Amino acid sequence: MAQVVLKNVTKSFGAVEVIKGINLHINDGEFCVFVGPSGCGKSTLLRMISGLEDTTSGTIDIDGRDVTGEEPSKRGIAMVFQSYALYPHLSVRDNIGFGLSLAKLPKAQIKAKVEEAAEKLQLTHLLDRKPKALSGGQRQRVAIGRSIVRDPKVFLFDEPLSNLDAALRSQMRMELTDLHAELGATMIYVTHDQVEAMTMADKIVVLNAGRIEQVGSPMELYDHPASPFVAGFIGSPKMNLYDGEIARRMGCSTYGIRPEHIALGTEGPWGGTVKHIERLGADTIVHMDSPEVGQLVARIAGDRPVRIGDMFRAAPMTGKEHRF
Amino acid sequence: MTRRQFWTGIVALAVSTVLFIIPFVFIAIIAVKDKREASRMGFDWPDSWHFWSNLVEVVEARNYMLLLAYFNSTVITVGAVTVLVVLGAMVGYVLQRRDSKWNSLIWAGVMSGLMIPPAVVPTIWVLQELHLFKTIHGMILIHVAYGLSFAILLFRSFISTIPRDLDEAAIIDGAKPLQIFFRVVLPLLRPVTVTVIVVQSIAIFNDFTNALYYLPGRENVTVQLTLFNFQSQFTSQMNLLFMNILLITIPPLIVYMFFNRQIVAGMTAGAVKG
Repeated sequence: MAQVVLKNVTKSFGAVEVIKGINLHINDGEFCVFVGPSGCGKSTLLRMISGLEDTTSGTIDIDGRDVTGEEPSKRGIAMVFQSYALYPHLSVRDNIGFGLSLAKLPKAQIKAKVEEAAEKLQLTHLLDRKPKALSGGQRQRVAIGRSIVRDPKVFLFDEPLSNLDAALRSQMRMELTDLHAELGATMIYVTHDQVEAMTMADKIVVLNAGRIEQVGSPMELYDHPASPFVAGFIGSPKMNLYDGEIARRMGCSTYGIRPEHIALGTEGPWGGTVKHIERLGADTIVHMDSPEVGQLVARIAGDRPVRIGDMFRAAPMTGKEHRF
Repeated sequence: MTRRQFWTGIVALAVSTVLFIIPFVFIAIIAVKDKREASRMGFDWPDSWHFWSNLVEVVEARNYMLLLAYFNSTVITVGAVTVLVVLGAMVGYVLQRRDSKWNSLIWAGVMSGLMIPPAVVPTIWVLQELHLFKTIHGMILIHVAYGLSFAILLFRSFISTIPRDLDEAAIIDGAKPLQIFFRVVLPLLRPVTVTVIVVQSIAIFNDFTNALYYLPGRENVTVQLTLFNFQSQFTSQMNLLFMNILLITIPPLIVYMFFNRQIVAGMTAGAVKG
């Protein structure tokens, strides 16, 4: 259980500065998600917190202690990798207990701790298997088990679900959320998937090009994005964003309206022809060409009949518009 | 299988029979003949079989020299291969994992070990200065020096297929560099280690010239040098010479037969990302 505090943290690879001065306060027991497009520095930032990457300047505090120059193993952190990084030559039991055996704990204690972690993650029947005999989800659980046994103050996850298929991913999302509730530990989670960020986080940190764009709870970011970047990144399908002449007419430099906040019907300021339809079952995503604004995406009820070539008038719901 | 594949297969089998099997059969036939018949060096069926008497005579020759030679060769092979595997894996690991500006220079040094032929006389001077000339451990070091470049080459390319995440997971688990190497990386190098062991032990066991140059002395004899026992300027006992060849060919052959699958696996690993 610990706070993580980053103060003016920067990172340069040679002349290239990839993390440009980050200040962040992650509270005790919080589930914090770093999200951003690839190359935004989110994984680098996580690796700096873990100690696998040096910090060029600034300080990192974990649990009130400055760990900036500390060895990773002395920081009280555990990390789950995207590739799981299980030791292929060791059984599940030895994988989970590897860190404990390095710390020269008594065998009986290691056994007890490993079995306790396995119990928690429903891995007990797999303890004597090798990683290659496990499915993706089971491997992921072993990797989590390996981090649990170390009783870390902070858990770090580096895109842990991106190698799983969609169904398993949503199941693991729930399991991780449950695990967080059960352990009550501070967790920092890196993903490029805004759905993971929205569904799991207490606090989302949106990163772009080595800087923090916005920090807030999922609904804060959804309802009150601070910049067009955050507005476009959070929410699926993407918010409709317009700049130039269209935005000037709306009295701002960038105007945004989410697809779910557009009413399609016979009235509205914008006309449009349906170009493309994505049926998701409960919802239908309609892509339209509009003479007034160009491209326009709207979300409508799944059971509403709509065909390519249909003409609609589109009206943004008042109070749901975003002006930047 | 098409007709064309069938016939190319037959031709390949025929060529390899001529190249590999026939010489071996020739050795075996001469080895069981008596002295007079063997000296004709014919590829005909032996008139009388002398397998056991030839074998005993070869083993007993020069006060059981062959047994001493087996012992020496085994010590040299095991010693050199052990050092080669440990050093090769360690150097390969550091070269592959640690980025430093010295890497290209070190790599050039490793490559030059493959490209520059060793010079015998200066090597003997060095050995003499270090008091390693005519010693078994000196011979082991020579083999390590000759084989190290190739071992590093194999290990380095194999290590590049082991994800760095594993090293990092071990670091987070609290492993020190040597623990990462011995407890995580080395166990994963098994396929390429088998390759290095087999290739190098066969080369070292079969080595003739290096032992001839660097390890003179009756008590230092290695298996390949026992071939001189039955060859001289005026008389050669071909039946015993070939029996000797047969005896010293068998150990590497057995090693090769058991491990050839793994050798190919280790050689090609790293060529294509799996």
